[in-house]
Amino acid sequence: MLELKNLDASYGFLQILWDVSLTVEDGEFIGLIGPNGAGKTTVMRTIAGLLTPMGGEVLFKSRRMNAVPAHRTTKMGISYISESLNLFVDMSVRENLLMGAYIVRDRDRQLETLEFVYQLFPRLKERERQLAGTMSGGERKMLAIARGMMSNPQLLLVDEPSLGLAPHLVADVFHSLQTLQEAGVTILLVEQRVNATLEITDRAYVLEQGRIVMEGPSSELMTNKHIKSAYLGI
Amino acid sequence: MQFETSLIHSLRRAVTTRLPATIVLLGTLVLSIVVGAAGGIAQVVNSIVTGGMWALMAVGLALVFGVMNVPQFAHGESFMVGAYVAYFVFNPIHKTLQDNPDAFLAFVAPLLAIIAAGVAGFILGLFLEKVLFYPLRLMSKAGEWVMNAFLLTVGISFILTNGTTLVLGANFRGVPRYWDAEPLTILGAPISVDRIMAFLIATGSIGALWFFLRRTRTGRAIRAVSQDEIGAQMMGINLNFIYPLTFGLATAMAALAGASLLFLFQAYPTVGLNPLYLAWYVVMMAGLGNVAGAIVGGFVVGILQTATQQFAGVVWADVIPTVVMIAVLLVVPSGIFGSEVKGISER
Repeated sequence: MLELKNLDASYGFLQILWDVSLTVEDGEFIGLIGPNGAGKTTVMRTIAGLLTPMGGEVLFKSRRMNAVPAHRTTKMGISYISESLNLFVDMSVRENLLMGAYIVRDRDRQLETLEFVYQLFPRLKERERQLAGTMSGGERKMLAIARGMMSNPQLLLVDEPSLGLAPHLVADVFHSLQTLQEAGVTILLVEQRVNATLEITDRAYVLEQGRIVMEGPSSELMTNKHIKSAYLGI
Repeated sequence: MQFETSLIHSLRRAVTTRLPATIVLLGTLVLSIVVGAAGGIAQVVNSIVTGGMWALMAVGLALVFGVMNVPQFAHGESFMVGAYVAYFVFNPIHKTLQDNPDAFLAFVAPLLAIIAAGVAGFILGLFLEKVLFYPLRLMSKAGEWVMNAFLLTVGISFILTNGTTLVLGANFRGVPRYWDAEPLTILGAPISVDRIMAFLIATGSIGALWFFLRRTRTGRAIRAVSQDEIGAQMMGINLNFIYPLTFGLATAMAALAGASLLFLFQAYPTVGLNPLYLAWYVVMMAGLGNVAGAIVGGFVVGILQTATQQFAGVVWADVIPTVVMIAVLLVVPSGIFGSEVKGISER
């Protein structure tokens, strides 16, 4: 579904990514792990079209996406849930979710998806009329994920959903991602919680200092020596 | 300790977000009662009419600043263009009407002129955005945009004002009145039909805009862009569609104001200057980019203006409102209704 070929990316003169290649097959749940500042978010931003790569290729369903702007990638089926969430803080929960379905013109389908995400996050239904800016961190996170699903994406890019969340909420969020995968959504998850990520993903890539240093089935990576010492502290 | 800081914080929040608005609104109410008692109801009604127009102007400014981060200093020229378009549409019809009277046409002609001005304003806005602001946005580096856009609007203002003088001359072109009808009596005060229509047009346009922003898909998208531009793009919103639309709407509203007030202001190249200052004054006092605040602020300024003229004399008309604005900004720098603008520092 998604393929990155020898991707180089930079902000101005500052190069962040070197020669990054990864593939995500239909229906897979892929993890992208690595330390702070490794360039994980840059990978996501490039796929989402918020950043134009300086070299290499981004292929989505075999189409070259290098110069496709963010609003078009959304229409093509990619949904990006960013680390900073980018919620519309002066809009209600419901309005935020309806904005998520901006590209879905069919009203009935919008409401159908709305029901689906409300089932997944009953909390959001309770808070339907509340302004997004007045919600707690965990609720905002849920709202961002729910909003990202409102466009009925084929590929969901989730950036550090656990950041700043209480541990029991992290479990909730990871559980909802699993539910989504079971519903047929392909997911690329960026995380610093290596253990939890390797437990729920099918395969994973390890990004360090802008390069992919390791890849493989998650269960294998979990027993890998480098991963164990660098990330799991065992 | 935790409690104390959060208490102080919430108190401060309450004081800085609600109290100024309450004080200003109460003050306005008292002021309008005083004006009414001293100068008659007609004065109050008149200030509400002009207040509605400042609100219409200010809403456009607030929208453009909130959505595009453009400090629009050519907004007065949109007012001026509206006034001219209305004049050139209305005048020929008016002349033919003198030879062969027609009650229906006499009623419709002013409306036609005002609508034509609105459409012309919208097209002008689209054109300016596509031809000038779009390329500027591509060239501006992060952090430069607000200043660049400001300079561009000042340039547009110069060119439109002087271009108009060059082509049409510096003459005043006005209409004595739009609707040739007896003044209506409201609360015992005679109010001309022109003023009533101007008020209806202002409130109608603001109401329509409000409905558009709150209830329609595209309107929501405009608000989304003003709240989080990156988030909006991630939802599939095309900024190259939203920006021209917003700019067109704002320009159209200023043009509507210029056209509706033609009977009061006439059309001449620098007619927009005073409305521009007043609209900026409203927006700064209400909170930059705050559309709802701009609506209320317009009426507040309308009353303040009338009161100044009545109690201090016309020469003070610009001084007192400016002093009030400075006082307001000293106490609440983000404006009495608070600023909703996001991402200024990122540009």
